[in-house]
Amino acid sequence: MRLISGRMRKVLKLEHVDAFYDRSQALDDVSIEVREGEFVTILGANGAGKTTIMKCIMGLLPPRNGRILFGGEDLTGRPAWVRTEMGMGYVPEGRRVFPDLTVEENLRMGGYNLKDHRALRRNLEWAYELFPRLKERRKQLARTMSGGEQQMLAIARALMIEPRLLLIDEISTGLMPILVNHSFNVIKDLHQRGITILLVEQNANKALKVADRGYVLEIGRITLQGTSRELRDNEEVVKAYLGS
Amino acid sequence: MILQQLINGIVIGSVYALIAMGATLVYGILKVLDIANAGAYAIGAYAGLFLYQATGSLPVAFLGAVLFTGLFGVLVQRVLYVPLLDKPPLVPLICSIGLFIFIQDLIRLLAGPHIRAFEAQLPFRGIELPYLSVNAIWIAIMATTAVLLVFLWYMLNRTKLGLAWKSTAQDLEIAKAMGVNVDRVVAFNFLLGYGFAAAAGIMIGMLYNSVFPTMGDMPAYKMLAIIVLGGLGNPLGTVVAGLLIGVVETLVAGYVGFFLPRDAIAFVVLIVILLVRPQGLLGQRT
Ligand SMILES: Nc1ncnc2c1ncn2[C@@H]1O[C@H](COP(=O)(O)OP(=O)(O)OP(=O)(O)O)[C@@H](O)[C@H]1O
Ligand SMILES: [Mg+2]
Repeated sequence: MRLISGRMRKVLKLEHVDAFYDRSQALDDVSIEVREGEFVTILGANGAGKTTIMKCIMGLLPPRNGRILFGGEDLTGRPAWVRTEMGMGYVPEGRRVFPDLTVEENLRMGGYNLKDHRALRRNLEWAYELFPRLKERRKQLARTMSGGEQQMLAIARALMIEPRLLLIDEISTGLMPILVNHSFNVIKDLHQRGITILLVEQNANKALKVADRGYVLEIGRITLQGTSRELRDNEEVVKAYLGS
Repeated sequence: MILQQLINGIVIGSVYALIAMGATLVYGILKVLDIANAGAYAIGAYAGLFLYQATGSLPVAFLGAVLFTGLFGVLVQRVLYVPLLDKPPLVPLICSIGLFIFIQDLIRLLAGPHIRAFEAQLPFRGIELPYLSVNAIWIAIMATTAVLLVFLWYMLNRTKLGLAWKSTAQDLEIAKAMGVNVDRVVAFNFLLGYGFAAAAGIMIGMLYNSVFPTMGDMPAYKMLAIIVLGGLGNPLGTVVAGLLIGVVETLVAGYVGFFLPRDAIAFVVLIVILLVRPQGLLGQRT
């Protein structure tokens, strides 16, 4: 439904965003957009500013200049905690599950802003259906789970609000190769179910296989953009990110 | 005799737990050692005394003083701590010590340096048995403390607000991103923390029949021992540590007739336990 009616609608738009940590600039004139139903990726090396973009979008680091629009609404000056209510699901870098809460409590926190009890139940069931492993471990403290399980929990937590846009900050870091593949398959599957995704990644190779479009971020600037195919065929991208 | 001492210890210990709970709650969320919480203890005692003298009703005085002090905590948090949070931890700590001294001197200016009596009439009598006597104030203290701690336990473990509190304590940034209005959680935290300190101040003021500007001094030191012992920021640990110190203190003072002053015993307990368990009684190793 979403796919057909809103194919061209912009979900997210960053306009000329500058961000700073104290006096050091981390983002310089970043403009990107994500349309309904798309899977967009932002590629960049360590320290390029990928996480900073995510923090700006989530309201954890307010941009110094520029605007961020979500569903046409200007987010400038709005606190981080309105994001989930508006439909942004966030999978932070390094998973960041609440270590001393159980799996189920973590998921409930994901759905913290759901007003409707039935929606909470339903989405909990949905999360368990997607990740049966989490259901087996629902009473277990998140800190005692393996890295891969925590990654699944972080994704499931973000799905609890049935997000309009899923923001993922590096799906692959710190996981063994087999789990990296699994994680990419999971988000590819979520995209096929109609969820709009913005993924920031270092693993360009994998990201460009699942995304529709991509941007390349270098030291805080967007230097290239295009469809995944264009980027995969681009010499500079191949040289810098895809290896030989 | 041993039963009597045990009851004494538990009464004192549960008040210690209450005193330290405010600082524990604040530390849990902000990772700031809130020495000024012991100032809230004195504010609460004075507010309770004045309200009692004005209204003659103990429940009104108690609730009024707790609420007043809690709101003072919300103000402190807004004006002092929140703006200092991204500074190094030493800055809010020093600020908190300064605030504590400020509170004591303000009380001295407003209410005078002398000790005031807090003679409360309770509507019931104590228990007098041949080998056991528990006076009415003790019963009131035990009951009030139990109600407050059970209320806190329920709030933390059985409500959505409690889940939000724990998430905020574990990862403030991510709690925010999950939709928790952390400003409100932090404000509520101070309302509760300062309110608890006030409750303890009133009860101790009644117990010793005295209220004075520096009455927060000893609780300030002991509170530190208790929250460290309880595993920094762990509410359950704080209750356990408070009770432990109350009981040990009473038993040692009662039986051994220690060569140390009674108030030093808390620190002996602290040092001994930290040698064995550096993370505190219920703290987690990191
Ligand atoms: N809290 C901070 N304070 C100061 N500087 C920071 C902070 N966080 C990030 N930076 C700096 O901002 C720049 C961008 O960092 P960012 O974390 O966004 O990079 P990234 O692309 O996510 O890197 P990685 O792939 O390592 O996660 C870096 O130069 C980094 O050193
Ligand atoms: Mg990053």
